[in-house]
This record gives sequence, C-alpha cells and structure tokens, in this order.
Amino acid sequence: MTSFDEILAWLNPDRDVAGTIYVQLRQDLTKIFTWNRCPDPDGLTDEVFDRVAKKVHEVRKTYVGDPKLYFYGVARNLIKEIPKKIKTQIPLQGAEPASDPRREAEQENAHMREDCLRLCLQKLSKEKRELIVAYYARDKQAKIDHRIEMAQRLGISVETLRVKAFRIRATLEQCLERCIDRMA
Amino acid sequence: MNEEPVSDALLRQFLLGQVDDQERQRLESMFVTGGLSRERVIAAEQHLLDDFLDDSLTPADRERFLAQYGETPAEQRKLRIAKSIQDWAASGAAVTAAGAAAGSRWSRLRARFRLQPVFMIPIAAVIVLAIVFAVIALRSRWEQRNRYLAMEQELARLNTPSMLRDVPSTMPPLTLRPGAVRSAEAETELTPPANAQFVELHLVWTQKERYPSYHATIRKIDEEQRYTVRDLQLDNSNTIQFRVPEIALPDGGVTVTVVCVLPAVIFG
Repeated sequence: MTSFDEILAWLNPDRDVAGTIYVQLRQDLTKIFTWNRCPDPDGLTDEVFDRVAKKVHEVRKTYVGDPKLYFYGVARNLIKEIPKKIKTQIPLQGAEPASDPRREAEQENAHMREDCLRLCLQKLSKEKRELIVAYYARDKQAKIDHRIEMAQRLGISVETLRVKAFRIRATLEQCLERCIDRMA
Repeated sequence: MNEEPVSDALLRQFLLGQVDDQERQRLESMFVTGGLSRERVIAAEQHLLDDFLDDSLTPADRERFLAQYGETPAEQRKLRIAKSIQDWAASGAAVTAAGAAAGSRWSRLRARFRLQPVFMIPIAAVIVLAIVFAVIALRSRWEQRNRYLAMEQELARLNTPSMLRDVPSTMPPLTLRPGAVRSAEAETELTPPANAQFVELHLVWTQKERYPSYHATIRKIDEEQRYTVRDLQLDNSNTIQFRVPEIALPDGGVTVTVVCVLPAVIFG
C-alpha cells in the first residue's frame, strides 16, 4: 500500500468518499495558508501532504480523532516555520525583481478587462449571467435592498445568494484572468 | 472549545485578521473539520468584498481588508476584476447586455483581433485589397454599362428614318446576304475609311413575305453583348438599311441578325 493509499484509507474507509475528503482538505489547507498570508499556499499544501505521507503509516495506528486535524496541525507547524525560512533566505545576485503591481495594472487596462468581461459573460448560462449582473446592479443602500428582494424572489437566504454570486464571480475571474493573459 | 458558536461579527473579524492566535486556530480547526461551514465563510468573504467595492468599510477595516485580500499582485488583480464586474453591472448598459449578451459579436471580434495581434496586419491588408478590387470591379462594370447605353443610343440615332433619309453615307454601302453558320462561303470583309463615322449595311431580305418592321441585332463574334435596333424598314429593293457606328465594328468580325416583326392580330 502506498503512502497515498494509506492517507486515503485514513481519511475514510470508502475510497470514493476519501477522495472527496482529500480534495476538500487540500482546498481548505490552501485557504488557511492564504488567510495566514503565507507565500505559495498551494506549494505549502503539497508540503503538508508530503510530511503526512512520511509518517502516516505510524501515525494512523495511534492517532485518535478527526485525521483532518492532524493535517491542520502539520499546516500550523509550517506556518510557524515560514518566518524563519524567510530570515534565512539569501538574496540571489541578478535575481528578477518582484513584479510591480502598478505595471501589471497598466498592462491589463480597463478596456481589456471590459472586452474580456463581455466575452466571459457570454460563456455563462443566461441564468447565471442575469444573476451576477443583477447582484452587482444598483448602488449602496439600493443594492442591499435589491439583494434582499432578489433572495426572496429566488427563495433563498441573502447568505446563499452571496455564495451563488461568489461562485459565479470566481468562474468569471478565472475566465477573465485567462483572457487578459492572452491579450496582454 | 469548538462548540462555541461563531457570530457573523467574529467571522468578519477573523477574515480581517483581527482575532488572536488562539481564536484563529479554533476557527481554522472548525473550518477544516466542517464545524464552520465553507458556505458561511464564502458568504462572509463575499460580503466583505461587496462592502469594499461599495466603499462602505471603515478606513481601518479597508486597510485590514487590503492587507488580507489585496497584498499580492494576484490578489490585486482579483480585486480589479471584481471591481470591473461591479462597474460594468452597475452601468445601465449592462442590464440590457446581460440578456442579449451585449452587442457582443463586434467586441468579440475586436477582442479576438486584440488577442492575436499578429493576425491584425494581414487581415487589415486583405480587407483593404478586397475593398480596392471591389471598387475597381464596380467601376469597370459601371463604365461598361455606360458604353453599352451610349452605343445603343448612337445606333438608334443613326437608324432613325430621318437620318437614313437625309444624311448620306460617306462610303459605299456594304451589302450583306444571309449566310448559314456552317457556310463554306467566304466571310464578307469590310474596311471602313479612317474618317468614316458610320458604316451603312444593306441587309438583303430573301424571303417573299414582307413585314411591318424588322429588328437588327449586331454582336461581336466572341462576345455575348449585343446591340439591337428596332423598327427598321424593308425598301423596294428588298434590303434593310442599317447603319452601324464605326466603333461598333471591331477586328474579328460581327454577326448581324435580322428579325421580322409580325403584325399584331386582333381577335373579335
């Protein structure tokens, strides 16, 4: 049994359920690294799984409780290690300077974003397109009232409406990022 | 410890980085194990973003928000994109555009061109060339049509009864007899003098029947275009006088066709 199989077996005896938990856990840990302002959250998540993989054979025999908390514990240790790592880093001569956000902002000008937005909106279903446009329509207080009305009309809570808007926006963001990168 | 409920205000503080380390770990543990639903966290983050975009965060919260969600270039880009979605949706045009996906074909084309600038110059060159060729072709057809109309007018003028009667030909008329297409006879050759404005043809009518009028058509042998003169008359010597401008007789030969016009029959 590989260490990956052992991780899955530890997360859940049903391999399909374990797979789902594994994917979700990866996303959660990445989110936690992001909240903690860690550089390269995806890379750190890989590191968590690498570390767990090395010990899983032994740990799962003795560990009591939700295994996800063990992963989280490893992630916390990594978060604590990060400042030390940064201090011990030696600047490389001739290394590329960090990207300048202002320059990037200039490169992807508003016009490009608008063109890409139009393209990406077309890729959404009519229902999603109307929802996201309606969600962001209006201004300030009118917008708040409008969202309450929208939620009532859809038979959902405002919170659920926000989640829906978040998901559509996330899809749009991904599409826009790809589109802007191609145009730049 | 994980049993304590998480209020919206606490969740907001947590997302803005305003909780101590112990509380942070408690909330993060709950997040990983599902005690704090992802949906709730997502909704709270979206709410924060909405407030940021609406400029309704306090200056301190705005700073905290930017520290948490707008520090890296990637995060800044996400914020710019979110802002552009909001701005676009907030503009009146967006509402109509959302239904019909906006006058999108043009912008899609524009965007596509911009996506691949390397194709811009060749495409533009092809378009310009196509326009130039279309203009040349139209102009050529227009000139051809004008020439045709001018020729028809000239033929009609030369063959009016008064012209045929009053204006004599400057060269002897050329008599043309009917010929079969596959005839072995030599073709009639005509060499008009340099100063001749027109050539007078005498078309011999060999049939016994006489008709009220005749139409003559002249056509260059290898061309489709033909000119017709109507209402020509047969004279007593069984010939039809037919005048043709010199310019209508190019090298290579022409075919002249005569058609009789039957009288109208009135029933009753």
